[in-house]
Amino acid sequence: MLKPHRVVLEKVNSYTEEAAAFMRRRRHHRREFVRIRFQSGAEADLPTGTPEADRIATAARRLIELG
Amino acid sequence: MSENALAEAAGRVLENLAELEPELVSAGIFDSGLEPVATSSTDVAWSKQAAALLEALEAGSVGQTLDSAHVASTAGEVFVVTESGLSLVAVTGRYVLASLTSYDMRMALRDAAREGSGQGPGGSWAKVRKATGEAENKGRSDA
Repeated sequence: MLKPHRVVLEKVNSYTEEAAAFMRRRRHHRREFVRIRFQSGAEADLPTGTPEADRIATAARRLIELG
Repeated sequence: MSENALAEAAGRVLENLAELEPELVSAGIFDSGLEPVATSSTDVAWSKQAAALLEALEAGSVGQTLDSAHVASTAGEVFVVTESGLSLVAVTGRYVLASLTSYDMRMALRDAAREGSGQGPGGSWAKVRKATGEAENKGRSDA
């Protein structure tokens, strides 16, 4: 049988993990990306903040808004 | 490839794609000149914006030929697939299965290109089967 303080520690630990997982999910939900695949088979994740990625992301956002 | 046949085929494959993809919001097929062949949206602004996106993707793939793209934002996702000189742009909800969506789009584009060129749904295989059957029965009237 676990000592009482261990039970409390485990509970606190479990709540902390839940909170961390929630934050990770939230970050993931808000993540935007531009992924391009070329005919050569190569794939590129365009880094956000570059002019190419921003232009593509802006065009995509407008398209999504139009529905 | 007749333009009317291609437009009809493109419209048909877009309807099929909408049935396959419950999360599909809108889609359109564009030719190599970025002119719309068929779109699910009646809004002209949608076609212009989709063409602008294709242009931006071409500009973004410096020195390489674009095959497909996946752009995710907080409000939804946009998929682009190019095949046989045609491009399919699709707007979907968030968190669709990317590989499955891309695969369905590619198959849709192949169907549009094949039906638009008058080959029919069976493509060249139908002709091969027919030719083989005729060859087997050659000279036999009771076959």
